[in-house]
Amino acid sequence: MTDQLGALTVIFTEFYYWVTVVLMFLIHVGFCMYEVGASRYKHHQHTLMKNTMVIPLVTVTWFFFGWWIYWAFPTGPGIAPSIMTESTALIMDDSTFSAKWYAPNTEFMAVNLGDHISGVFWAAFLLFSWTAASIVSGAIIERITTFAFGILAIAIGSFFWVIDAAWGWHFDGWMLKILGYHDAYASGVIHAIAGGFALGVLMVLGPRIGKFSSSGEPRNIGPRNPWLVTIGLFLIYTGFWGFYAACNIPIFDLGPEYGMEGVTYWTATNIYVTPTTLSGITYNFLMSLSGGLLAGYVVAKGDPFWTYSSGLAGIICASAGNDLYHPIQAMLIGAIGVVIAYKMHYWVERKFKIDDAVGAVAVHGYAGFAGLVICGFVLNGYPSSGYNVGAMWDGSTYASINPLGQFLGAIIMFVVLGLIPGYVLARILNAFGKLRIPREVEIAGLDYEMMEDDRDAEKAVASSTR
Amino acid sequence: MATVTNWIDHLSAKEVVGAVYPGAGSTETLLVILGVVFWIGWHVITARSESEKLSRLARKRHGANDHKSNVTEW
Repeated sequence: MTDQLGALTVIFTEFYYWVTVVLMFLIHVGFCMYEVGASRYKHHQHTLMKNTMVIPLVTVTWFFFGWWIYWAFPTGPGIAPSIMTESTALIMDDSTFSAKWYAPNTEFMAVNLGDHISGVFWAAFLLFSWTAASIVSGAIIERITTFAFGILAIAIGSFFWVIDAAWGWHFDGWMLKILGYHDAYASGVIHAIAGGFALGVLMVLGPRIGKFSSSGEPRNIGPRNPWLVTIGLFLIYTGFWGFYAACNIPIFDLGPEYGMEGVTYWTATNIYVTPTTLSGITYNFLMSLSGGLLAGYVVAKGDPFWTYSSGLAGIICASAGNDLYHPIQAMLIGAIGVVIAYKMHYWVERKFKIDDAVGAVAVHGYAGFAGLVICGFVLNGYPSSGYNVGAMWDGSTYASINPLGQFLGAIIMFVVLGLIPGYVLARILNAFGKLRIPREVEIAGLDYEMMEDDRDAEKAVASSTR
Repeated sequence: MATVTNWIDHLSAKEVVGAVYPGAGSTETLLVILGVVFWIGWHVITARSESEKLSRLARKRHGANDHKSNVTEW
């Protein structure tokens, strides 16, 4: 960097993403607190450790192959040509945004004086990956083995969600071109897929012992520590601010990028390189949070667990279009998403005997799915990209945002890349007897031996101080 | 092992080499192999110890409230 203004832009961008990563760390802290608060005393430490291990397992696999997938797979492969290479193959050429630079043995995946962005951008996406895995973690507490969860966490955190990000959350993704898919703050690419994946796992894993009576009536196994749940969800809200910022490119000159001769237009953009503002999305973040909280308080009759979760569901539902919505649209969409998620949760629980311990499938899956569909109607006709806008199904140009494309996108996220892989992987783990802990252990508590050791240690200390 | 031995020489070169970590340009693939072995090894070790622990605990057949006798005050 020899030009001072250019250097400032680069260093600002580097620092911007670094700050978002630190903020997003709070999402994981929040998920850990939330899950422990929702679990029963005899499972606390196992619950905490299970979700903590998401951090190293997803991080190392994200380094080994997850990040490479994001850059390699936008074309499908074989579905729509890249605007960079005009090929539908994996993107592995010498162009700037090629996966070639993000294999784990390249010099850009390390301290490199010529590259100030790759590491912080890698980390921002990594924190999204932790979130995807953590969403699944909450739904399956108190009965899954740590081994099985580790495999599932890697599958959703470093593989399946990255595929959907390459397809629908990349400026060159085939879903933008063919479907006009738009999902600025990840209603689908993080939340719907993780919710669908969790549902697929739950279908095989089964409910916690005692969740359903012999006649099939669900029993409430409510959060054991509402204060921990409260702080956890507030921390998730806080981290979500960082997530929103991380989904933007902070400063970009769209004039030359879109090929507009003589035009200079500096702005923040979303992940698709279409213009928005950090200021504008701040309106929408807060208004969709508010819409969710207001609706949740009503439908859950003031239940704190569901009211807090509804704040999150409100943001998630509005996130697909929060780069462009009016704040009141964001609020109303958030409220609608909460009603759908809440009603769906209890309907699915009763009808299919699905025990989603923290409502993760509802808050993330159903609200995310609904958010994508609603976005298709509200933003109908907006360009999904600034590059070469054309017709739906064309493939070589970018379709506009539309209801059908968003609905199909929601199916791809929730069912194709979420529910089906989750179900299949859980079936495989179950076939090897590795999915669920033994019944006796579930009854005794996963922390039994640890607690027993603590008791013996306490006795030993007490006897030595007499 | 050092990739850089003199910063003045390094930064005043006609074309500055960006990768400055030890072994740049020659050890990356070996490092990836070591990293993958470490990662897979972790799964093998923890899966084995978890299976043993769960089997041991299952054999004891504790009741749903037995853990309460283990609650400590510290």
